[in-house]
Amino acid sequence: MTQLLLGNDAIALGMVQSGCRVMTAYPGTPSSEILAGVVKFKKKLGREIYTEWSASEKVAFEVALAASWSGLRAATAMKQVGLNVAADPLFSAAYTGVVGGFVIVPCDDPGPMSSQTEQDSRLMALTAKVPVFDPSTPAEALAMTQAAFELSERHCLPVILRPTTRVCHAVQSVDVPTAPAAAPNGHNAGFKKDPQRWAATPVFRLKLHNELNAKLADIEAEFEASPLNYSVNQPSAISHQPLGIIASGVVFTTAQEALAELGAEAPILKIGTPFPLPRKRAMEFIAQFERVLVLEEPDACIELQIPDRTRVNGRLDGTVPNAGELSPEIVMSVLAEALDRAGLPVPPPPDDAALSAIVQSLKIAPRRPRLCPGCSHRSAMFTMKRTFGPNAIYPGDIGCYSLGTNLRAIDTFVDMGAAVTMATGFYQAGRITGDKRPIVALIGDSTFIHSGIVPLANAVHTGARFVLLVLDNHTTAMTGTQPTPANDYTAEGDIATKISIPDIVRACGVKFVAVADPYDQEPFKALLEEAQAFTRAPEGGLAVIIADRPCVLYDDSPIEANPIPVVVTEDCDGCRYCVEAFECPALVLRADKSRVDIDYRICVECGQCIDACYKGFIVPQMSVVSTQ
Amino acid sequence: MELKLILAGIGGQGVVFATKVLSQAAMGRGERVMASENHGMSQRGGSVMSHVKIGGSEAPLIRRGTADALVAFDRVEAMRSLPFVRAGGSVYVNSVNGLDPAVMARLTELGIGVFSVEADACARELGAPAVTNLVVLGFAAAHSGLGLSVDDLKNSPKRNHSYRQRGLRVRP
Repeated sequence: MTQLLLGNDAIALGMVQSGCRVMTAYPGTPSSEILAGVVKFKKKLGREIYTEWSASEKVAFEVALAASWSGLRAATAMKQVGLNVAADPLFSAAYTGVVGGFVIVPCDDPGPMSSQTEQDSRLMALTAKVPVFDPSTPAEALAMTQAAFELSERHCLPVILRPTTRVCHAVQSVDVPTAPAAAPNGHNAGFKKDPQRWAATPVFRLKLHNELNAKLADIEAEFEASPLNYSVNQPSAISHQPLGIIASGVVFTTAQEALAELGAEAPILKIGTPFPLPRKRAMEFIAQFERVLVLEEPDACIELQIPDRTRVNGRLDGTVPNAGELSPEIVMSVLAEALDRAGLPVPPPPDDAALSAIVQSLKIAPRRPRLCPGCSHRSAMFTMKRTFGPNAIYPGDIGCYSLGTNLRAIDTFVDMGAAVTMATGFYQAGRITGDKRPIVALIGDSTFIHSGIVPLANAVHTGARFVLLVLDNHTTAMTGTQPTPANDYTAEGDIATKISIPDIVRACGVKFVAVADPYDQEPFKALLEEAQAFTRAPEGGLAVIIADRPCVLYDDSPIEANPIPVVVTEDCDGCRYCVEAFECPALVLRADKSRVDIDYRICVECGQCIDACYKGFIVPQMSVVSTQ
Repeated sequence: MELKLILAGIGGQGVVFATKVLSQAAMGRGERVMASENHGMSQRGGSVMSHVKIGGSEAPLIRRGTADALVAFDRVEAMRSLPFVRAGGSVYVNSVNGLDPAVMARLTELGIGVFSVEADACARELGAPAVTNLVVLGFAAAHSGLGLSVDDLKNSPKRNHSYRQRGLRVRP
């Protein structure tokens, strides 16, 4: 049956059809739809699968790993930087091996479009010594998910399936094979004790490392003959030709299309298993050509493993740009140059700039992402800025509130949980340099549970003093409102035990803990001042304020219960303060810059902008009606 | 014959939803579809663009200068996405006054037709301001710009999908 599938849904369907029994994930673009897809397809196909939105990627990895050690097929998904968080168990699990097929899906983000790096999870696989599959399309991702479970089980080794954003978020008509009536169940025999493996001390780890190396040699031999690696445009007679191409992932499809447009028939070796690279096959392919161009994303993994790169060009020698997504425009220009260098006739590449110049001359301002109308983070950060001004240090973290950079309310973000640790470091550095500026760190509820708790315990223990603002909007908002351990329901909507963020903060030894609604801007300001005073008091210390207000996308019932429609009075002089300092998308500066209007199509009637006009020109609608 | 379409708009306007309607409709006619969506940061009110290829290619992105048609739910986003349109292609845009006069001469030179529809007003008249996206899509189909008929769109299984309005409540 042909189905329209999102790449992430294709991976999810592959997991369900392959008899995966435990699936865990921590949300992160572009991976977030995989677990939701598993929940959807397990219900549709009537399969029993335990799913979990875990507290972090490391948690997700280890929960799934234990299931695999119990003989069940298991999988875990995350964004590429999430695999950094789960790197510790990944490296260890490569040594110990697995029992039930174990598939890890870190989704890479060339560009990067929604990430702090564009790191290559295939290189992570290479370093950790686990095999990796690299799908080019949703259809291939579905097939490879099945193959990954089988390979993992055959060699008792974790296997990585590495899609990129353009596979995860591509939608393709896919011929879906009928699901087997009874899904394969792995070994399904429960956890069997084997301390020399599952609890191996360093002495046994050396033995396991040698075992791992042997497994990889077997897998490379298997990949030499794998149908996941194949040639296209291959001439029937072996001959010496000017140019060949090795490609993997989405770039393989982009290169095929570009070659067709150029009317060139350069042979392509498509690699579906970048690590361990089937080196014999690659070298046999390379031997046929004067030059070989390697196209891969986001970094050089295949190219790096080619034993003799004398005739090879790619990202490593700069022939292909060594950063950024390989867009169709870039692939076209790289291919045209390579064909030309190889002495092949190149028709002038089709003009893709006919309109670019004139559109550029219009200088259309980029439309940057902004916090939603009614977002509680905006209120919290606006009040924070009003309280502490531009000079305080604002360490931020990963989530929607990183858009607070627009409001100049975020000075740093590094990775999950770094708001707390960076604030600790800024405090200690400030003691040395004599910098007495206030430090106010911001972290979201999901991020706090993911990676903020341990840093908080550390900060309290070492005597660091700063204000920590936990922006608790009751959900993981940026990635699509997935639940956290502070919610009372699971990934499947079942009842779950809710843990309390204030209780965790108190248990870390924080003496100043307050919960407040950032919509009440004046009391919130007073609380921020009190917290700051506590950080400076002789008997004081670290102060935590939990800004408690649900995300409008997740739960707008508090606004529905108390809508405050607003108007901008005729006195508005277009000073732009509200547009810049508050930056609600529903506050729109008129084209002639004379005044600000409310865009009532998107205004959610939160009334928060009333305080954003210090001149008092934004007022509740009711007050206008009553004065008329 | 392969058809390459660009859908452009602002986060919240339903670009991804329109992509699904279009893709399902094409599949209903037995066509192969490959489309590329924006997710994540781009959904927080930023520019959103999706690429749709009907009838063959497995490459998810459309190269600049090769799209047969641009379907835009916002005038500024239409302008921004123009470089994708090929010579002889078409632009269907939600606008009360077409595109910026500065580009019109060049578009005419390249044989690119611009068709405007006051989709916001149409949607308001329908009492469903959130369906601006479907008005523009239907408008393009009626002009044979999608290789699909209006009936094909009506037959899309996605047609009854409820529009997600939370956080983007639209008031007439």
